[in-house]
This record gives sequence, structure tokens and C-alpha cells, in this order.
Amino acid sequence: MKVLMVDKEKCTGCHQCELWCGTEIASTSKELARAINEEPHPVPRVYVEGKPFALQCRHCESAPCLDACPNGTMRRDPETGLIYVNEQTCIACWMCVMVCPFGIINPSSSMKVAIKCDRCRNMGYPICAEVCPTGALSLVERKDYRKKKF
Amino acid sequence: MRYIIVGGSAAAISAVESIRSLDHESSIDLFSDEETPLFSRVLLPYYVAEELSKPLLNFRTADFFEENKVTPHLGVKVTSLNTAAKAIRTTDGQTYAFDKLLLATGGKAIVPPIPGVDKEGISTLKTMADAERIYNMKGKRAVVIGAGSIGVEACISLTRRGIKATLLEQLGQVMPTVFDAEAAEIVQKRIEDLGIDVLTGEKALKFTGDKRVTGVVTDNRELSCDMVVLSVGVRPQTELAVQAGLKIGELKGIRVDETMMTSAKDVYAAGDVAETHDIARNAYFLNAIWPCAFEQGHFAGLNMAGRKSAYPGSYRRNSIGNFIGIPAISMGVTHAESCAMASEEDEFREIRVRTKDAYKKLVLRNGKIIGAILVGQTQKAGLMSILLKKQVNVADSIPLLMSDRLNFMDLLPILRRNADQFSEPEYKELMDTGL
Repeated sequence: MKVLMVDKEKCTGCHQCELWCGTEIASTSKELARAINEEPHPVPRVYVEGKPFALQCRHCESAPCLDACPNGTMRRDPETGLIYVNEQTCIACWMCVMVCPFGIINPSSSMKVAIKCDRCRNMGYPICAEVCPTGALSLVERKDYRKKKF
Repeated sequence: MRYIIVGGSAAAISAVESIRSLDHESSIDLFSDEETPLFSRVLLPYYVAEELSKPLLNFRTADFFEENKVTPHLGVKVTSLNTAAKAIRTTDGQTYAFDKLLLATGGKAIVPPIPGVDKEGISTLKTMADAERIYNMKGKRAVVIGAGSIGVEACISLTRRGIKATLLEQLGQVMPTVFDAEAAEIVQKRIEDLGIDVLTGEKALKFTGDKRVTGVVTDNRELSCDMVVLSVGVRPQTELAVQAGLKIGELKGIRVDETMMTSAKDVYAAGDVAETHDIARNAYFLNAIWPCAFEQGHFAGLNMAGRKSAYPGSYRRNSIGNFIGIPAISMGVTHAESCAMASEEDEFREIRVRTKDAYKKLVLRNGKIIGAILVGQTQKAGLMSILLKKQVNVADSIPLLMSDRLNFMDLLPILRRNADQFSEPEYKELMDTGL
């Protein structure tokens, strides 16, 4: 399966990915100027953290969130291997939050659903990678990820 | 190969999925004494609260059995297990032979021996029938006995339906196995804000009323009520295992090895009925929670289908979610002293941070996390969970772990120091970045 690769040499911590994810994916208006004032506040699915590094859901091969979800809201797309939240059935129990080893599932109390990256599974290409001004984010096959030298 | 699964909840279904990931052809017969299949027990309080209708309680779709080529036997109880002859007998008088069998018989709600407990209007909350009984009870006042997760959720469910609920707990705090006193105090305040009366350190002595319950007598008072929910805990449902002569542990669960196999060859156990190695306690323990049941079912299924896989061990994890109104997550042991296997050389440490609306606590043994509580800010709880599970030394990272800026990327040095423990590709990928 394909995963997002982040080149730490190129990631400058500019937060463009966060901004666009929050606008394009999370907001209802899809316009930055309006998204900023939306209630509930749009929640981006990517976190620029550490030194810096744009971290999103890693779509684990053996995913603890899938085991912890008590009603099958957390699902894996059998074709792409991507893990996504079926928001209509989420009961906001935060069991997935409790077990996510990367801490990238947002327990949104205002929206009452678990919010995480689905790697833009319904779009052609992940928005974070598309907008990154330095090209730090790219999509690679998981088996090739570790062959790349940083 | 003929597989038999006894049970129909998390561990059983997870085992089916794992078996089918390796073996697409062999027969799987699943026996469950619940007539309604594939519903999630965790969600029963939501049903009582009228927040979820019956179809929404399902954790797998109705075609699950068909899709996975499973022959379900619903409402059929297995009455005996012969491990030598490798066969089971059921209430419908049939005998079924197996090559591999999984006991995922779960837990049974404890009915405390309080005088009058058999009166009408008193119910546990464990099965679908229980949930329906409570849902259909008429009345204005309820007493819920036992302030564990189910008790607290039952109270909130009844409150949302306009019933005045009183929560009675004989220990000194709410959710005593989940939270320490400080976190319990925050949670109790929230429960009281919802209009629920909470009485801790108070014991139910008897139930009054003729045929139907009309009150609960405690050591301090008499509470009049129209209904009572009993939520004092669960015990493993081991009748079959005991009858079959399987090894039972000190906590009365079925003892399993790291492949989830019981003392009888080709007979496995998983879920609330299984007594497994607890990573935090470093002892055998019963962790009757959904995620453990699912994980154990997964490992049992793989081993049953012939792929040898070692279960890394269990540890308690509880999340109270949105139901109470403040997110709170707790895992492992809540106090250093609750570690069963404390030796003299072990060094324990507890670290706490309390702000107005948030609370965070770590319990460490020899520099390794064995317990964590997060109230208010919980998004990074999973980081504690993985560090607990992997039992790596975090002694030099305490300020980071306790701070609000805690994030995964800053934990990479810990992962890299313990690279053999973090061998999964998703960790390796990020470790390779050189950050």
C-alpha cells in the first residue's frame, strides 16, 4: 500500500499542509477566510510537530484503532489498505484515541467524532502533499519507503 | 480443519477474521447463547439511553457470517466439552467434533448476595435481554449499585430518559478500578452536574418491597426507588472449562499461554474469560475489556490456523468518552501499590500534574510506564499506551511526557534506543528519517 513519506530535510515547518487540510478537508466552506471562523472549528488531520515534521495517520499494518473500536466505526478499505472513520456511526467513546501509538486521532468534543487522516482516500492525491511548497511530502509504496536514503 | 468457536462477541468475531485471513476453506461453527448476533456489549448503555437503536449496536454487518463462511448456531448453548474426544455437546442434543476450539465465553455479571435481590425491577446490564429489561422498566427513580464504568454509564442513560438516578458505591470513590482519587473526584463532579446523586463509601444491605423492589436499605439510609441496576462487576464464565478440566487461574479465569492455548491441546481461550499475562502488573490478570478481547481473539485465531504468534500480553485500558462530558482515559495500574508482583528491588514513582480542568498522572516501575491517567486533555494518551505496552525506559523523558507539547516525533530517541521493540514498519519508517 501507499503511504505518505516526509523528507525531513525539506520540511520547514511552514504548516501549509495543516492549513490546507483544515480548509479543504475539514471545513464546510472550503475557503480559508471563512474556515477560520467556522464553528465547530475545522480540525486538520496532519500535525506539524517535533523538529519539525508533518505527521499524519500511518495506516498501521496491524492497527490498534481497528481492534479498539467497539462498533466497527474505524474501518480499513480492503482495496487501498487505508484506515478511515465512518463518521455517521462514531459514538465518541475515544477508544481509538486511547490506543493510537502516534497520537494523531483528534477526539473532537464539538463534532463528537474521532477525526483522523484518511489520506484523502476519496480524492486523487493527498492535499498535504499537493500543497507542500518544498515537496517534502510524497506518496510512496510502503515497501519502498525504507529504501529511500535521507 | 474443523474450527469451533464458543461465544459470539469481540474475541470470537476477531478470531473468525484472523482464521479467515489464513484459511479460507475450513468449516467454522460458531455457538452463541445470545439470540442477537454481532452486537457490541459496550454499547448497551447507549441503547438504554435511546441514543442508539438496535441495528446501530452491531459492530459487524449482518452478512458477516455469510461473508466469512461461518455456520452460526445462535441461542444454542454448549453444554459439555470433551477435550480428549475433541467434541462438544449442545442444548439441541447434537454433538460436534472439532480440530481446534476457541472458548470465548466471556463474563457473567455478578449478582451480589443481598437479601431481596431476586425481586422484580432489579437487573444486571450485560446481555441484550438485560438492556431490554431495563429499557422497558417503568418508574421515576432508580438506584444503580456499583460505580464502575457500566454503573456510571447506566446512571447517565437513565438520567437522559428522565429517570432520577442514585449511584451507590461501597468503596470511597467512583470508578475505583479505573481512576485514582484525584481523577475520580473530577469525574464524580461531572456525574453530579448531570443531576445524579452519588453516594460513595455506602453499602446496599437489602432490597425492600413485596414482589417488586421499592427501595434499597444502605448502612446510612433507605433510598426509595422503582428499579435497581446491579453493576458490581463481572466474573469469567468458566462452567464449560471447569467441566472439561482446563486449568483455571487464581482469579478464576481460564489460564492461557502466549499462543492463547489453554491447558488442553488445540483448545484456546480469549476475551473476558481468559486469564492472561498482564504487562503492567507483571502477573496473570483478568482484563475484561473490549480491546483486550479483540487482540486476544486475533492471536488465538492466528495460532489456531497454524501461524505461531505470541500475544505480547494484556493491560487494562478504559476511556469514558463523550458520555460523561469530560474525556478521561486510564490504563494499566492506577497506583504503584496495586502491582501484584512488586519485589524489593523495584523502584516505583508516581508523577502528577493538575490544572483547573485537566489531570495527568504516570505510574512508573524502574523507569517504565505501568499506568497512566489523563483527564481533560487525552489526544496523546495512545503514546502512553504504546510505551506501556513495549515496556521501554522513559526515565529521561518525564518532563516531555508530562507536558502539553508531548508529541510522537519527540519520542523518536526512545524508539531508536529500543529499536528491536519497535520493529513494525510504521515505526521503522519514521525512525529512518534521522530526526
